[in-house]
Amino acid sequence: MAPSRRLRRVAASQPGFLNLKTDSGGAALAGGRRKRLNKNKKKSWNKHSDINDVDAFLEDVRLQERTTGGLLSEKSDESLFFLDAGPPKDQRVSQPAEEQKRSKGKAWRPLRIDLILQRDSLVPIPKDVLAYQKPNAKKLRRIAEKAAQLSAKGVVTRRQKRLLNRPPVKERTKKAVTEANNNPNRDYYDMWREEPKGTSDPWFLQQTGKKRVPRPERMNEKPSVLPAVEVIAAGGSYNPEFFSHQALLQEAHNVELKRQKEEDRIAKQLAVNKEHFATEETVMKEQVEGLVEEEEAEEEEEAASEEDVAVGAIVMAEKKTERQRRKERVEKLKVQRRQANRAKSDKRQQLFQLNSIKKTIKERETNTKVKQEQRKSNQEAEKAQPRRLGKLKFQPQDMEVQLSNELAGSLRQLKPEGSVLKDRFKSLQKRNLIEPRERAKFKRVLKVKYVEKRAFREIT
Amino acid sequence: MGGTLKKKYESGSVTNYITRNKARKKLQLSLPDFRRLCILKGIYPREPKNKKKVNKGSTAPRTFYLLKDIRFLLHEPIVRKFREYKIFVRKLKRAYGRTEYSTVGRLKDNKPAYKLDHIVKERYPSFIDALRDIDDALCMCFLFSTFARTGKCHVQTIQLCRRLTVEWMNYVIASRALRKVFISIKGIYYQAEVMGQIITWLVPYQFSHDHPTDVDYRVMATFTELYTTLLGFVNFRLYHSLNLVYPPKLDVKSESGLNEEDVDDYAMSSESYLEKLSALSTTLAQVVSSTEDEEAELDKFPVEEEDVAKLEAREEEQKQQEIEKKLFEGLKIFLNREVPRESLAFLIRCFGGQVSWDRSVCIGSTYNVTDETITHQIVDRPNIDKQYINRYYVQPQWLYDCVNAKILLPVEDYFLGVTLPPHLSPFVEEKDGDYVPPEKLKIMALQRGEKPVRAQEEEEEEEEEDDSEEEEEEEEDEDEDKVEEKSLKKMEEQRSQGNSLPVKVTAGKVKVDNLERLEQEEKAEEKRLAIMMMKKREKYLYDKIMFGKKRKIREANKLTAKRKAHDDAEKSSKKKTRK
Repeated sequence: MAPSRRLRRVAASQPGFLNLKTDSGGAALAGGRRKRLNKNKKKSWNKHSDINDVDAFLEDVRLQERTTGGLLSEKSDESLFFLDAGPPKDQRVSQPAEEQKRSKGKAWRPLRIDLILQRDSLVPIPKDVLAYQKPNAKKLRRIAEKAAQLSAKGVVTRRQKRLLNRPPVKERTKKAVTEANNNPNRDYYDMWREEPKGTSDPWFLQQTGKKRVPRPERMNEKPSVLPAVEVIAAGGSYNPEFFSHQALLQEAHNVELKRQKEEDRIAKQLAVNKEHFATEETVMKEQVEGLVEEEEAEEEEEAASEEDVAVGAIVMAEKKTERQRRKERVEKLKVQRRQANRAKSDKRQQLFQLNSIKKTIKERETNTKVKQEQRKSNQEAEKAQPRRLGKLKFQPQDMEVQLSNELAGSLRQLKPEGSVLKDRFKSLQKRNLIEPRERAKFKRVLKVKYVEKRAFREIT
Repeated sequence: MGGTLKKKYESGSVTNYITRNKARKKLQLSLPDFRRLCILKGIYPREPKNKKKVNKGSTAPRTFYLLKDIRFLLHEPIVRKFREYKIFVRKLKRAYGRTEYSTVGRLKDNKPAYKLDHIVKERYPSFIDALRDIDDALCMCFLFSTFARTGKCHVQTIQLCRRLTVEWMNYVIASRALRKVFISIKGIYYQAEVMGQIITWLVPYQFSHDHPTDVDYRVMATFTELYTTLLGFVNFRLYHSLNLVYPPKLDVKSESGLNEEDVDDYAMSSESYLEKLSALSTTLAQVVSSTEDEEAELDKFPVEEEDVAKLEAREEEQKQQEIEKKLFEGLKIFLNREVPRESLAFLIRCFGGQVSWDRSVCIGSTYNVTDETITHQIVDRPNIDKQYINRYYVQPQWLYDCVNAKILLPVEDYFLGVTLPPHLSPFVEEKDGDYVPPEKLKIMALQRGEKPVRAQEEEEEEEEEDDSEEEEEEEEDEDEDKVEEKSLKKMEEQRSQGNSLPVKVTAGKVKVDNLERLEQEEKAEEKRLAIMMMKKREKYLYDKIMFGKKRKIREANKLTAKRKAHDDAEKSSKKKTRK
């Protein structure tokens, strides 16, 4: 507040200062017709009084203060002017030396940005009063003094007593947060220790859902008999023995051959048959097609005759006479009796065929036994096979093989073949733990629209 | 007779199966979540015997689950967590969209998380069950621990896998459980015997990953999630079975032996402990410092006479194993910087050797190259400038082959710049009659305690024969050498070959009947008689078996002949190039 008040005072004493009243009158005169305005409200007063000249004046005062540190009119002459008597001698000498120095090694100069940001006003920074003042300082001081007095006397105030006698607050522990399972610093404990038997009723636990549902025994069976880690054949050594290496190569070769065959088969199927190529004759036939009508008429006639035959097929059977029926019945009985007799005699005859019957039975039994064994062995073999668990069939991994010229002479030069990650993944699939899947294809929802940029279009 | 008509596909095998989509809807989960749940709980898709019936007449390929399995899944508490997580993600998205960052913070603080402990306990009710299934877990953890931290999977998962594998390796070292190693072109296979269970795992080579695109990382990460939990609990139990502190602590005594100056160069102080553990060069701290060399003796039970032989055999085996476990004891090995440090350090420490490496290679080295007491230095380059006279410079394959052969093989075949003998797979077990590569035969001879001199000298001999024109002079020299080493009989044969036959008549000797031979003859006679006495059918079977065996042997012989021809050809070609 103080500086502004001072400014007002200074402004009033200046000769160029015009009173507000005269100012408003002048404005009215300049405008010609006088405008009637209510200035009884502060808002309208502010709006309609012209304060430009006051502003200009104050701006000037501020400029003076900023640049010289006070009003020029208050400065003494000595501080404003000096007697120019030519440049001093020593300065003349020293200047070129300085220039030389600069040109030699680049002397340190402040950055331009720093210069811009430097404070160039000469008005001193107002003192921050709040930094020194404390709210309620007086009261607090008095209280402190009193407390010191009392403590010197050895008196304990009621308030202090209450603080001292406060019951100890139970430290609320933070709710135990389960940390993530892959926390590298997690701790382990003895999971398989003998646990003390709980005292509570198992029935109660089960009914209240506190007991876990036991895992069915059936689930602990492994879906495949294959071992978790299948060790590569001896030929897969980094420095293999000749024959085992050859054996591995042979195996890989066979796999490759099979694949090649499959590819060839498909290529063969896809190839165009030479007989299907269009010849001149067929082209001609195609062009003429539909223009010749002789054959069609004949066909129609044939169809008509067929229809006649079909109609004639449905003929009602004539009714059988009583006699015929009786005859049939007798015949039927006769046949039955004959068959029964035959069966009876056959059975009697079988008594003499006992040996051959036994033989056939034995044969049949051995046959079934052989078949059973075969089936069992097949089932055993099946257990090691990957199953069809989804859309895709299991594709075995490419065999890891190094050709004879790829083999490294020493461990240092060894170039690893294949990927262990893939090997593990395929092993999981092979053991029926996961189903073979294909990576989901990326499907674009919105169409891509290609637009030439304008800058590019201008060039082309 | 009337009654309602039976509808199709309402009874029978249809009622046992459910399609994947239906199961998913029943559980109210999205497909990825459903897949995750199935993997975690160990519920796998099934292939019904008659697909058409199960698929209600359609032959479209579908994935089926057992209905009872899915009903069991309904009880799983994790299902709710999955749903909660879905909601959490939705809320988070919304908050981000509205740029309400305070909400984001609050939501993130209360992120739903779950533990798999109860699932592990449910799937593996006893410790041995878990141990039997640990192969997969180990493979997966070793695989994930070698991934680069590039965002293909959570960095935390990688860290956890690394920690668990280091713990496992330290356990194998402490219990001396390693049995076999095989360096293949894919990775390194290890086999260990832990509590009577044979455990095989595959470790990829470092820095060899190109990430294949046709592998579902989400599925793999889910498996890993389960397996890390499993492996952690197994590790805990294993450490306690050996009286070791878990989480592993370095032994104070051995930790002080480490080169401490350069710890700060390798890792931040928070990570340096794990790094030191993963260096595998120090022993672990025990809960109760026990007296060393506490050998477990087999319990002796009063046994019947028949079992005595078995018991003795078992004791013998135990003793043999104890010896094998101390294979590298007393060796002080230094690894050059070009060899795979972790694998070799693991191997050496598993068999009781001391190991160190250059300070700049890794944290945790114990002694320098200049140490005079080093017995072996592992080198994998054609030559080396400065060589110490009191140590062997061998190629890394020597260590692997020693472990597989269970004896210290002669170092000569593995010297610097020497063409190495083939690295045989220890996982191949030949039955009798199969073709056995000559290198394996040699190793087997060594194992029996025979000296390898013969084979080597023969080779040398052959070479010399080919090389030099003056056979006789050399032969004489050689003969002198052989007097010391070879049996007399052999020498005589050589002489008779080299020189003209000396005709001499010596006094006759009484031939002593060889008891052993007599016995053998008797046995053979017995066998012949038994064959004669066979029934026709049995005889037929016997002949068949014998024929099969002979055929096998014939094939094996063919292979060995081939191999010899190959070797000869190679040798001659080499000679040509030399000339």
